[in-house]
Amino acid sequence: MNNKKNLDRRDFFKKTAALSVTAIAGTSLVSSNARADDPAIMHHPKWGQKWGDPVTKNQYGIPSAYEHNVTRRSTKLLASGNFRASIAVTPIQESMGIVTPNGLFFSRSHGGVAHVDPNEFRLMIHGLVEKPIVLTLEQLKRYPSVTRTHFIECPANGGQEWRGPQFNSLQFAKGFMASAEWTGVYIKTILEDLGLKPEAQWMLAEGSDNSEMGRTIPVDKVLDDAMIVWGQNGEALRPEQGYPVRLLLPGWEGNLSVKWLKRLEFATEPWYCKEETSKYTNLKPNGKAVQHFYANEVNSTVTSPSPEIDWSHLKDGDIVEIEGLAWSGMGTITGVDLSFDGGKNYVETKLKGLVLPKSWTRWSYMHTYKKGDTLLLTSRAMDDAGYIQPTIDQEVSIMGVEAVYHRNGVETWEVNAKGEVNHVQIRS
Amino acid sequence: MFKLDRKLQITASVAATVALFTLGGCNGSSTGTTETTQVNGQATIDGGSTYPVIDGKTSAYYVNTNVTGMKINNGRIPTANELKAWNKDIMPDGTGLPEGSGSVEDGEELYEAKCVMCHGDFGSGGGGYPALSKGNAYELQETLTNNRWKDPDADGPTRVFGSYWSHASTLFWYIKDGMPHPFSKSLSVDETYALTAYVLNINEFEIDGVEVDDEYVLDREKFLKVKMPNVDGFEPNIDGPNALSDIRAYYANAKNFGAQNLKQGAVRCMTDCQKPSAKIVRVSGSGISDFIPPMSDVRDLPVKEEVKVDPKKVYATTCAMCHDSYLSPGSAEWEGYLAKGMDKVYANGIHGTEGGMPAKGGSDLSDTNFKTVVDYITTGKVK
Repeated sequence: MNNKKNLDRRDFFKKTAALSVTAIAGTSLVSSNARADDPAIMHHPKWGQKWGDPVTKNQYGIPSAYEHNVTRRSTKLLASGNFRASIAVTPIQESMGIVTPNGLFFSRSHGGVAHVDPNEFRLMIHGLVEKPIVLTLEQLKRYPSVTRTHFIECPANGGQEWRGPQFNSLQFAKGFMASAEWTGVYIKTILEDLGLKPEAQWMLAEGSDNSEMGRTIPVDKVLDDAMIVWGQNGEALRPEQGYPVRLLLPGWEGNLSVKWLKRLEFATEPWYCKEETSKYTNLKPNGKAVQHFYANEVNSTVTSPSPEIDWSHLKDGDIVEIEGLAWSGMGTITGVDLSFDGGKNYVETKLKGLVLPKSWTRWSYMHTYKKGDTLLLTSRAMDDAGYIQPTIDQEVSIMGVEAVYHRNGVETWEVNAKGEVNHVQIRS
Repeated sequence: MFKLDRKLQITASVAATVALFTLGGCNGSSTGTTETTQVNGQATIDGGSTYPVIDGKTSAYYVNTNVTGMKINNGRIPTANELKAWNKDIMPDGTGLPEGSGSVEDGEELYEAKCVMCHGDFGSGGGGYPALSKGNAYELQETLTNNRWKDPDADGPTRVFGSYWSHASTLFWYIKDGMPHPFSKSLSVDETYALTAYVLNINEFEIDGVEVDDEYVLDREKFLKVKMPNVDGFEPNIDGPNALSDIRAYYANAKNFGAQNLKQGAVRCMTDCQKPSAKIVRVSGSGISDFIPPMSDVRDLPVKEEVKVDPKKVYATTCAMCHDSYLSPGSAEWEGYLAKGMDKVYANGIHGTEGGMPAKGGSDLSDTNFKTVVDYITTGKVK
């Protein structure tokens, strides 16, 4: 799937690199003219010989036109409601670091993306509180803010593959998630003013969108780290993420982080909203379904290589970084193991960058590529609550294959002799 | 204990919370390390970690600990009418359920007018919209133990309203607030009763021993007697005063939800971890690959979009899900509509109709482009 042009250029640099080794050994680099000169160096590029854009263009910046293939994607399988009860997923094969650009953050709605007028935004908090309130956006934002980096993951991430791999694609196999730095207020801070009554056990969060998406949340989470957020990576939330205000329940299934938020109500009994029975429940082989399945469990994936961006351009002996993401809605990543034989034997990888609670965490392993080798790359993450990713066999032995949600068994990329990467599962 | 702790957390400062946490940590931790799975001495409800503020920090984040205990007094108390206007949720015990009534007969008529184009005949589903019934709810509830993990070709479980949902209040509430999908909140209370009655009818329900037949008239009192076949089909318990401790206990055991926990006996195997029977399962064929847009990692300049749309392509992506089964391209069903003149057909398409047609099918096409799509759907031909 790689660009021919890129391939040629990489090819060129490889050969140049080989020459530079010789140069260090004593031969002058200047004298080595055995290779063709790179036109990209020998000719003035057209962008360097004329005026560029004035600073007045694109007052809100957009990515380079050359990046147009880095987009969210959808598929008919997930096109429910004429793409209004549907999902468009994040190209995590192209992701860098632990933050997703706002325009690539996965988009899920149950009645279409609402466009809320911030002037008409109101948040009502009522029920079992001493003092019910209505807030305008300005009044909400006057509460003391906190900023936290958390992923949001749809619990159906990987949920199409309980009965075998279906997507030969990282974007679709694991891209029902994204990560951002969120700014908002802890709900517990607001409740200090309102006074939660002791008999309150549950909070209803309801959106103002076409579907009035609602979910029931236990007060334990509300009083721990639940937030009402308006900021995403330093700017207002995007409409796809609930502009102007959404709920954020760090680590918990994305559906609970209700978007286009309008109302929070506290009560003694749960509500049984549509999305907490009809969907977002895990049917087990005994016919019982897990309901109120909150946290997305520890998970990981290899992001480089991927089926989309493979190793077919690598040469024998190339040193390459195997990189991936690990995340847990139940805590902080403590380590990631990597297998080259599909989970038979593992080695430890290195975590890198910021390692934060309920956040994407980057991991890395340096590898010398041997052309013609067949590899089965499997990653396996652990968190500080003690959880470790199950094998697919372990997970299926308890949950069966009809659960749809919360699948976090280890995933495997098969690297074939040509360096192409395919999504496989290892089963016993 | 729980209530007391909660009250403390709400009224106390963050510093006090830290003190509580420390006590909890001393009591609850056998390893002597910081216990990250307790809030105020209690296990987290999800079985995961939590990060109390210690020395002005929560994990790596610094915290302004002065934000608590400030009695910030933002906003205002809502009026009684405002509360009434927004507090419309409907709970299993009937809280919020309005008085009203509707018959299966009226429900069927409404269904045929406003729902069938997406949910299919008798709620059979189709086109990416969920089925509302697959037959007798009581029989289908028994399919929930079907699981294709040992025999991939076996029948799977049938999860529709009648066979799977635990409470009928969910259905009434969702119809009232979320349906019809392109025109939500447009149904009256009686219409909602009628549609609910119809959905109960096609799922072959009985209420209080009485069959919900074609003559049945549903009202609030009868509705509250609906017993869902799968009401006991879910775990953990979330009802009653012990709900939260029941949930906490459930997620304290990794085995309940298919997880592996190293503190609960799971093993982090590093060598020779597989059975000899381990085999590679590949994506069958090319798998699901009809991605929109197609997958690519090429860095080139985008092709300029054509100004004129291809009506067939628009139809396939925007219209087919409903129109394939109703007024399909060139279908004879169009005759009656076309007799009213093309201007009327165009106008209905552009502005939408109460009969289920969203304005421009929900697309953002220009009128000119949209009319070429109408021409295609009405004739089956591209001009």
